[in-house]
Amino acid sequence: MTTTASIWTLHFHSSSFPIPILSSEVRFRRYLEFACNCKNCTSRSTLRKFIVRAVSSDDDKRLRDEVIVNNSSKDNAAKTQQNPVAMFQESISSLPLLVFKTGKYSGVSFTVGLCIVATLLIIVVKGYAARKSRHNRPGSVADLVRRGQLRSDRRGISTPLKYEDPFNNPMVKVSKSNSSVEMCGKVYRLAPVTLTEEEQSVHQKRRSRAYQWKRPTMFLKEGESVPPDVDPDTVRWIPANHPFATTSSDIDEDLAQNNVYQKHGVPFRIQAEHEALQRKLEALQNEQKLNKLVIDPAAARDFERPLKSHLKSGDQVEQSTSNPKSSPNPPKSDRAHNSCEQTNL
Amino acid sequence: MISLQPLANLKPASLYFHRFSSKPRTKFKPITIHSLLQYNRKPQLAGDTPRVVVITSGKGGVGKTTTTANIGLSLARLGFSVVAIDADVGLRNLDLLLGLENRVNYTVVEVLNGDCRLDQALVRDKRWSNFELLCISKPRSKLPLGFGGKALIWLVEALKAREEGAPDFIIIDCPAGIDAGFITAITPANEAVLVTTPDITSLRDADRVTGLLECDGIRDIKMIVNRVRTDMIKGEDMMSVLDVQEMLGLPLLGVIPEDTEVIRSTNRGHPLVLNKPPAIAGLAFEQAAWRLVEQDSMKAVMMEEEPKKRGFFSFFGG
Repeated sequence: MTTTASIWTLHFHSSSFPIPILSSEVRFRRYLEFACNCKNCTSRSTLRKFIVRAVSSDDDKRLRDEVIVNNSSKDNAAKTQQNPVAMFQESISSLPLLVFKTGKYSGVSFTVGLCIVATLLIIVVKGYAARKSRHNRPGSVADLVRRGQLRSDRRGISTPLKYEDPFNNPMVKVSKSNSSVEMCGKVYRLAPVTLTEEEQSVHQKRRSRAYQWKRPTMFLKEGESVPPDVDPDTVRWIPANHPFATTSSDIDEDLAQNNVYQKHGVPFRIQAEHEALQRKLEALQNEQKLNKLVIDPAAARDFERPLKSHLKSGDQVEQSTSNPKSSPNPPKSDRAHNSCEQTNL
Repeated sequence: MISLQPLANLKPASLYFHRFSSKPRTKFKPITIHSLLQYNRKPQLAGDTPRVVVITSGKGGVGKTTTTANIGLSLARLGFSVVAIDADVGLRNLDLLLGLENRVNYTVVEVLNGDCRLDQALVRDKRWSNFELLCISKPRSKLPLGFGGKALIWLVEALKAREEGAPDFIIIDCPAGIDAGFITAITPANEAVLVTTPDITSLRDADRVTGLLECDGIRDIKMIVNRVRTDMIKGEDMMSVLDVQEMLGLPLLGVIPEDTEVIRSTNRGHPLVLNKPPAIAGLAFEQAAWRLVEQDSMKAVMMEEEPKKRGFFSFFGG
């Protein structure tokens, strides 16, 4: 009985154990020395020995051992409560009784136990499956995470499925009497639509009387005066601080139309900005040439490579002109010129 | 939900009685409805192309953008080339529903300014290459309203003159309200789809918007009733689709049942009509698209859910 499940426990209780146990302790240590590299093997073999001895021991010895164990448990109560291995030792100490009892009621209790275990197993498996299916469900918040709309840890990513055949859908079935339809497993009663042309025209007349409306063609800011030749009903007032509508347009209407119709080539503004930059660079280049001529006529060899030297000085110019927001509108004469070029493209 | 053949054998008066009767519907004599399932053939495209359809509602949050995305992709799946224009100037969302938000670099405002060409601003969907998205502006940019409507007309003209041919459908997602954005969006449209929910707030706005559309010369207006709950209709807690039709007097293009899959599909950026297995709302959108192609309207609507007849082995899951 005193032989424990592990060598570590033996060391722990060695002081309280009586002399007969020392032999077993010595034997265990010998095992330890023999197979110190495989502690688990040693402890397992020890456990097997213990069970055999516990079952085959006579009553006197067993009682004595129980007393000893009880004593030791009283002495080391605090340690035992906190030590799971010691608790395991105690539970093992009750094993012979258990063996006896299970032998008595083996038929019924085994069946009940099996049922309980099976039930628990089913619950665990179903819970696991449910959790897994929740992660795989399409359209969950995980998709928002996937699309970068939601900052969170990445959850299950579902693969979008294609519904290949729109002309053969087994999910829609009409009954033989045509009075009901089954869709997605649910049966719905059908009722006929009875709206007639007359009813439609009656509603149209009602609406035409109720809603007198003219399409607004003039958009004005609050505070602006209505032009004299404009019908006031067609004027729509837009507040100056409207979040996404503005009455002022910084682009010519004809030019915008040309931009929409453009099919090939460089878009208008990109080309206009490029050309404006080109012109500025050329102008700067010419100025610097003249300055150099005036200041240092001796440095004539610099003119052989004018582009290289001016590219460095032109960096600053490029920065100021490259931002389209800072200079969004080239002169109108340029626009017209460029738009002609665009149409030629 | 199913489009039906004309009811030649039915008298309108008797149907009227059925519709406006406040008696329980279970006492009605079963009406013979000759239905035609719209799934076994490709729809015939009616009308001149490109057909410019504006999807509007008046009230916000009724499902305009969802309808645009799903009908647009349904049309693409049916084999028609589609350009969807998000004309919601300040609050665009169509790109999110389609899952194309990371691919929108240029908008119509950049095209007008000459920063890019129109073909560069069109975003082609990788799932269905005959579907393209065009956003009118970026969320923080302003659209000059002086030629906002004209700009959309130019866009339609430019799309007609494309080298690869004009698209079959140009679908315009209209912003909520009847403000300048609405006026801009409806300018190039020849027909309109009015999205409404079966509640009085949405119906009042829908009626007003229909009046404005008719004043503007758009006569071909059909409606989609969205977020219909048959259980609430059965319990007399929600107006039925026929009640809605009676109030607005518009032909029905589709009835979309309330479906939780709508939110999931929005989260995914994957429209409902591409779901597999198909969601019930996706099926309804598909059929609405089918009718839109053929310029057809619904002849029968789903009223309430019936208990499904079960077999002998149904108890055992059979």
